[in-house]
Amino acid sequence: MTRPAEHLPGVPPALRFVDVRKEYALGDGVIRALDGLSFEVPRGEFVAIVGRSGSGKSTVLQLAAGIDVPTSGEVWVDGRELSRLPDDELTRSRRDRVGMVHQFFNLLATLSVRENVALPLLLGGGDRREALRRADALVDQVGLAHRRESRPHMLSGGEMQRVAIARALVHGPALVLADEPTGNLDSRSAGQIVELLGRLGREHGATVVLVTHSQEAAGAATRTIELSDGRIVADTTGGA
Amino acid sequence: MSALLRWLLLRRLAREHGRTLLTVLGVALGVAVFVSIRLANHSAMASFADTVDAVTGRANLTVESASDGFAESLYVRLARDPRIEAAAPVVQVSALAKPGGPGPAGPLPTGDRGAWRESMLFLGIDPFVEAPFDRFGALAGGDGRYRGPVALAGALRLLTEPRTVAVTGAFAARTGLRVDDTLSVLVSGRPVPLVVAMVLPGQALQQAMGGNVALMDVATAQEVFGRAGRLDRVDLIVPPRRRDALRRALAAEMPAGVTVDLPQARTRQVENMVAAFALNLTALSFIALLVSLFLVFNAVAMSVLRWRREIGVLRSLGATRGQVARLFLLEGLLLGVAGSALGLGLGTLLARATLGAVGRTLTDLYLVQHANRVVLDPATYAIGFGLGVATALVSALAPALEAAHTPPGLTMRQGMLLEARRLPVGRWALAGLGTLGLAGLVVAWTMREHLAWGGFLAAFLVVAAFTLASPAFTLAGETLVRRPAEALGGIEGALGARALRDFVARTSVVVASLMLAVGMTVALTIMVRSFRSTVDTWITQTIRGDLYVEPAGHRTSLAATALPDSLVRAARRLPGVRAVDTYRATPIRLGNRQAFAVGIDFAVQERFGHLEFLHGVPSRDVFARALARNEVLVTESFAHNFRVRTGDTLRLPAPAGNEALRIAGVFYDYSAEGGAVLMDRHLFARLWHDDRTESLALYCEPGADVARVRREFVALAGPDLVLHVTPNQDLRRRVLSVFDQTFRITFALQFIAVLVAVLGVVTTLTALILQRGRDIGVLRAVGALRRQVWRIVLIESAILGLLGSLLGCAAGWVLALILVHVINRQSFGWTLRMTVDPLVFAQAVALMVVTAIVAGLGPARYASDRVAAEALRVET
Repeated sequence: MTRPAEHLPGVPPALRFVDVRKEYALGDGVIRALDGLSFEVPRGEFVAIVGRSGSGKSTVLQLAAGIDVPTSGEVWVDGRELSRLPDDELTRSRRDRVGMVHQFFNLLATLSVRENVALPLLLGGGDRREALRRADALVDQVGLAHRRESRPHMLSGGEMQRVAIARALVHGPALVLADEPTGNLDSRSAGQIVELLGRLGREHGATVVLVTHSQEAAGAATRTIELSDGRIVADTTGGA
Repeated sequence: MSALLRWLLLRRLAREHGRTLLTVLGVALGVAVFVSIRLANHSAMASFADTVDAVTGRANLTVESASDGFAESLYVRLARDPRIEAAAPVVQVSALAKPGGPGPAGPLPTGDRGAWRESMLFLGIDPFVEAPFDRFGALAGGDGRYRGPVALAGALRLLTEPRTVAVTGAFAARTGLRVDDTLSVLVSGRPVPLVVAMVLPGQALQQAMGGNVALMDVATAQEVFGRAGRLDRVDLIVPPRRRDALRRALAAEMPAGVTVDLPQARTRQVENMVAAFALNLTALSFIALLVSLFLVFNAVAMSVLRWRREIGVLRSLGATRGQVARLFLLEGLLLGVAGSALGLGLGTLLARATLGAVGRTLTDLYLVQHANRVVLDPATYAIGFGLGVATALVSALAPALEAAHTPPGLTMRQGMLLEARRLPVGRWALAGLGTLGLAGLVVAWTMREHLAWGGFLAAFLVVAAFTLASPAFTLAGETLVRRPAEALGGIEGALGARALRDFVARTSVVVASLMLAVGMTVALTIMVRSFRSTVDTWITQTIRGDLYVEPAGHRTSLAATALPDSLVRAARRLPGVRAVDTYRATPIRLGNRQAFAVGIDFAVQERFGHLEFLHGVPSRDVFARALARNEVLVTESFAHNFRVRTGDTLRLPAPAGNEALRIAGVFYDYSAEGGAVLMDRHLFARLWHDDRTESLALYCEPGADVARVRREFVALAGPDLVLHVTPNQDLRRRVLSVFDQTFRITFALQFIAVLVAVLGVVTTLTALILQRGRDIGVLRAVGALRRQVWRIVLIESAILGLLGSLLGCAAGWVLALILVHVINRQSFGWTLRMTVDPLVFAQAVALMVVTAIVAGLGPARYASDRVAAEALRVET
């Protein structure tokens, strides 16, 4: 069922899963979250991963982010295989090549909007002034120039998610992983967020992988992968 | 509620057993310190009271002289008095003793008792009149008949054989002594062998002085201790209904210096004398308990944070605010009960060690024989348990209320600061300033009114003031350290510093508990160093003579000690000796307090003395005036205790009558807290009919070889005397070593308080990490390396340690002012010169920053290990 990758010569895909299994111990038994999953996401693509609760879609994101490791198989991000990397390397890979957007925004309450956005650059040892300049540019792009100095709790849900998107893109990642980014928003804001994610992904040359329950959100993607019981049951191109 | 309690509280405490254990341990340490100090104080007093009870038996009045006893003719008069049912004469002397023969005599190093390890109370009694008093166990029964042939034979030997003695079963068992063995006693430095005629089988004296009591016939005691014709006490039995009237009537008939009292009065006097010392130790023992208050606060606050979501669920299911509050109050209660129960046990164990230190101090400072058995006092256990539980409940109150007032939906609102309520930082800081001002007023008022508790109340108010100011200080401190932290620690430094501001409700608790621990450490260190330096200066300036001579056992036998007159006279003629000062002292009773009257040679002091007088009056002038006009000098503590000053007139209860004596000057003195009245030896001899010498100070000629003079003096004393002949530098060292010994317990208590504060830092940092679990997870998700998370937490710990210790230094300085200038003056009447070494502050800051970083290691590991996945809301 895996869709053939559309490689550019010599350029690795942004994300590649090769026969990935992921099992979790639960009491005496084992829950199999992913069952021999293989697929590739070429650079620049906007992919939606859909499926019911428990289908394994969030596990895909965790493995892609290097927050978890597969039980077997290989996970490649931007040409690097993650499963055997030590923790620091995984973190660096995440920091340099991956941006993340979460359902619950996960902004740091103690930092202002522009500081939240600049955080991945600062954690990477970047110059503070340059990091804030780039953050400001991103904040402007997501339409929150007037909110740069605000703290997260002063923003609406949609605004918080815009900040999260800006943070996910500020360091120019190859891959943006979005986990139910509209799950906590009203339908109008949800539409705007998905549109923004797609647009900025394109503008910044980032591949976007969106995990969602929402058909509307999935409809904005150029490709949709449907999971069930840890396997791909459909992989279709189309939409936006 | 019981099911809720079981499901929600007990299971949680069991699951988080590590944290529960830390908190319980903190409370236990706080309670243990309090219990051990109180038990030690109580045991010292109970031992004294037991001894008094054991040696007075059924006597309901005692006639005694605080000083050197009275003529035995007084006993004859009392025995014949028809108003009195029974009278018994007593000679009572404390002395050093050892089982076995006297062994070789000769000089002993200062502070070394040699083989004379036993401090014993020797009681000379008249077995013929003992029966009605029902004391001394098997020696005589209540029916007046001797019990059993062995006891009878022993009692008869005491009467008929010279230099015989009866010892307690406890003493015999410990030392292996049997009937007919020798027990040697040091009498004014001279070893005297006694024969054990009897081992007392009864229980009566086994506990008094730990069993170190020996009975003799009164005539034997008079002969052995050089008290021919004199008695120390007459015990009386009078009709109980007429006791008080008779006491007043007899008192009016007694010669000057002889009092008629209830047997318990002596215990009360000693209690009064050591009250200030006991109060100081008890106040000190509260510190650890106070610090544990922060610990329980942190523990319950942490539970509230950790279970915030569950609280929301409970509230949404219908739990009332009261139920939620009760749940967390119960947690405080359980921690308090468990900690206090453990604390009682720990305290009992600690008390054995504490009693040694407390006992030594009581002996050194107050000349009270020390106890060696911990008396388990139910009241102490009840108070310790109650205090522990109450502390825990009070500490749990704030977080419990915070839990009850947390809106159920709070956790659903992301990006919000999870501080339920904002602190009124400014108002608290103002209240702190007001409290500090109040402390100043309390000091001013209580100093004027001579109220001993004023200093403690002021110290408590200072602690409260600095606690109230700690949130404002934390915010101000964060502003100051933010840039340096960022410059030095990059983004990790910035994030570490920032947390201090955003979680100020939590971080200021750490700052406050560190402030308290550092404040107390700094204050006590400054006080002890100031005290030590004052004593060192004092002893160096005022030390009498180049050689100090006293018989071994002088500190035990006190006024019962006398050096041979021939030795004193010979010392004056010794080549190289320019002058000899003599010393004679006697306890005196003024009102309900005890002090000492001391006779020294004012003529020698006028020429060579360096006593330092209040208001800088020259020593030579004061001695000259006092010598010329028969005036006296008093120590600063005497002036404080009895509220007298230069120019006032004193009436001292001396055998020659209550003579009015003008005070010529008040001098600094740190030797005995009770205070002393100094007079010329001739005046002393006239008032007390006593011209004997207890100790000597030899002043050598300029350029004389002190070591040679010492050798010649020792040769002069001959081989039969056990003496301490101490060069003044050794005496200074000895005084300072006694001083250091006295304050060892202070530092032990301080160490425990710091330990509890460190437990507080660990639990609070863990609470902060829990509170920011999601944030730290996000940091990891957006690329923070493990070591970056470590650095954030450790930088935060270091800044907390820095701020807590800086505030603690400020608090410590204010507390030191109170300790040095208020508490020491109010409690002991001592003026100390405050010496502040900046190194003390630097050490405290360095120690606390390092301690805080070490305390942060656990939470840092927790932060870097566990929270990354949580932030991403795992969904399979």
